[in-house]
Amino acid sequence: MVASAAEPDHDDTLVDITGLEKQFSGTKALDGVSIKFRRGEVHGLLGENGAGKSTLIKILTGVYSPSAGRISLDGAQVRIDSPLEAHKLGFGAVYQDAEVVSSFTVGQNVLLGNEPGGALVDQRKIHAEAQSILDRMGIDLDVRLLAADLSAAEMQLVTLATLFQRQYKLIVLDEPTARLSASEVEILFGLIERFRDQGITIIYISHRLGEIKRICDRVTILRGGLVSATLDRDEITEERVTELMVAKSREDLRIENTGMATDRVLLEVEDLRTDHLEPLSFTVRAGEILGITGPVGGGMEQIGRSLGGVVHHDGTIRIDGKTVSTRSPRASRAAGIAVVPEDRRRQALFPELSLADNVSLPVLGQLSRFGLIRGQLKLRYAREIADRLSVSPAVPTRSVKFFSGGNQQKAVIGKWMSAHARLFIFVEPTAGVDVGAIKEIYDIILSLARAEAAVILISSAAEEVMALAETVMVVHDGHLVHGAPKAECTHDQLLTLSMGGVSHVKV
Amino acid sequence: MAGPVDESTAAPEDASAPASAGGEPLWLRLLRRWGTIAVIVLTGVGFSFATPYFLTFSNFNNILFSMIVPCLVSIGLTYVVVAGSFDLSVGLCVTTTSIVCAFLIPLVGPWPAIVLSLLAATLIGSINGVLVTYGRLSGIVVTLGMMFVLGGINIYLTGGYQVAVDYTEKAFRYIGQGRFQLTDDRSMAIAVPVVILAVIFLLHLALAGKTRVGYYIRAVGDNAMAAFYSGIPVYRWVIVAFVLSSLTAGIGGVLLTSISSSAQPVGGEGYLLGAFAAVFLGATVLGKGKPHVLGTLLGVFFIYMVNSGMNMVGFPYAARQLFAGAILILAVGANALLNREEIHLKFI
Repeated sequence: MVASAAEPDHDDTLVDITGLEKQFSGTKALDGVSIKFRRGEVHGLLGENGAGKSTLIKILTGVYSPSAGRISLDGAQVRIDSPLEAHKLGFGAVYQDAEVVSSFTVGQNVLLGNEPGGALVDQRKIHAEAQSILDRMGIDLDVRLLAADLSAAEMQLVTLATLFQRQYKLIVLDEPTARLSASEVEILFGLIERFRDQGITIIYISHRLGEIKRICDRVTILRGGLVSATLDRDEITEERVTELMVAKSREDLRIENTGMATDRVLLEVEDLRTDHLEPLSFTVRAGEILGITGPVGGGMEQIGRSLGGVVHHDGTIRIDGKTVSTRSPRASRAAGIAVVPEDRRRQALFPELSLADNVSLPVLGQLSRFGLIRGQLKLRYAREIADRLSVSPAVPTRSVKFFSGGNQQKAVIGKWMSAHARLFIFVEPTAGVDVGAIKEIYDIILSLARAEAAVILISSAAEEVMALAETVMVVHDGHLVHGAPKAECTHDQLLTLSMGGVSHVKV
Repeated sequence: MAGPVDESTAAPEDASAPASAGGEPLWLRLLRRWGTIAVIVLTGVGFSFATPYFLTFSNFNNILFSMIVPCLVSIGLTYVVVAGSFDLSVGLCVTTTSIVCAFLIPLVGPWPAIVLSLLAATLIGSINGVLVTYGRLSGIVVTLGMMFVLGGINIYLTGGYQVAVDYTEKAFRYIGQGRFQLTDDRSMAIAVPVVILAVIFLLHLALAGKTRVGYYIRAVGDNAMAAFYSGIPVYRWVIVAFVLSSLTAGIGGVLLTSISSSAQPVGGEGYLLGAFAAVFLGATVLGKGKPHVLGTLLGVFFIYMVNSGMNMVGFPYAARQLFAGAILILAVGANALLNREEIHLKFI
């Protein structure tokens, strides 16, 4: 990478964002963000979960509309009301889950919507043109392969080729290396440099500081919906970035788990292994909160998915000394494992159903007589749960979709309250939850531990893990890179480790 | 992830290699690709042994003649299913077009009547399409509603009686009742509507397989989000799929009027279920896993061939129905077994 010789002109602003604000039901996700993106630069975007990165990107790609603020392209103000509009302006994005038409070939996907020729579709021409695009980009991939047969990494390369073909001016890459192997990362970086040399601006979102330092010309750090700072490449240091990322203003959220673990080992995991996770063994005692952190897609979520029974895995899992099966979600539930998943709306809630229906689902048998559900009992039960978790508004008959993110999260927790779960697994429990509800959710997690349940907290936010956990593990690239009691860890160390820094394995 | 990109770096000139070289046994691939066609051929061979009248030119002709309207309905429906929706109004669209055509012939003459009745079919499809896209309604609900509306219109227009086409409309009746004599033998003739069906089938084969129309409808049906982000006007192609469905069913309606020299007020409902059976059966042909025009044709042919064969061998109606249902579930079920997803949670 020798791009510094062709340092772009500093006045060459492509996109100028000023005073951008976005509110979600009263909470400010963006609170007046101003950033200038230059033509032909790779601009890193850093920030903890909830700092506003994804909101900013969704506004740029037309998924959300801003509540206030201006976006200018080449000096002229633009409105981006829909993804189609963003596409016309030349703004494109590659998300972690690349969107491809799986029954089409690589070549057909690359040229989708821009096929050469007239009314007739000439497959040979499409594939020849797609091949030449891939060749120019240096991607070695057969254009006649079916997209359904590609790996996640290859799909991402195909999506990149699609953007390249459409001659976008601005391309957003959201955690592009989350699922790539080291050699694929090299290909990706080669592509990014090629894009930059052609004057395309890249917004590069990543949690991995090493990558940011390597590929980005500048980096903007977001914190709590505000721009914390914009640094040039030579100013990027771990200490500096960490300091800028961590919200000192969140002092009121300071929660300390001083240790509630008993001596009784509740969960024993031996050689847990999946396709994306190297064999891993650990134990959790009753009352202990085990915090697992690392980069998104680095393997930590595999632990929660395995114990929850949704992903195929090998290994032995014992609860209270008894070997249990976690072959299916049903088996996991029977074993006393409750998973509060990350994607609440899709994986844990029935948005159209009422709060009462949602929380009473696992215990309907206890609320029934002669096989008939007793409505009054159900409502009373739901009200009890709502009070215990301080769900607001405490209206059990209201559809869950009308509750805020934090209260929805409480509803998911409430679902498991009386289901005799002994092990609770929280996956990114505060993602998409507004600040006010975060503390309440932390309190609930702590109270579960106090009641001598075992808790596993899987979170990419090091801060959260430091606040809640008693023992900490860092999983990176499918490997356990760190494991120690919290007292022996520092927040910065975890951040560095999960961003791929030096490992200090103590297990 | 075993870095497949690296492998292709090592052998960049290996573009001629078969697409799915993945560790799938050959017999499984053959079964997936040729299984349905093998079943169709074997069933035909079986009937040929069971009865001497089965494998004859005139029986073949009869099968083709009986499947004209169902085949057109099924081919049209294929587009909507490929686009990822449902069209339950196709059966009644046949009846409505047939009635409109029979009504207009004495008023405006046969050729304008055909054009106008096909326009009516197009209108039906457009309404379905617009409601499903811009109206944000589900395809099942919209076309179910359309089915009842058309049923009402049909009774209203006819008063419940059949509409006869005048005996003097020789040219119009030739469309449905004419024959191309192949030899002096009177049985060696092909019905004109069968030829029309063949022509329309070939047009659809080209439209679905070779043009942007079929191409974009496939893309939209597979992953509408990806198509949307690629700048493809998704709504337009969904509407086009519904219009093609109604229009092709409408052609069937016009042929039906000509074949029977009249339009019946009811009876179109029967086409619907058979058409779905044919489309889903056709999806398994050549292992595509998604409906396609050729597969639909073979699906219809199979259903009518089995019907004719069992009829000749002497199976009662009940047995024929049972067999048709069993075949459908078996074919589609076998196909699903061959294409296993990790977690199956779609029940439509």
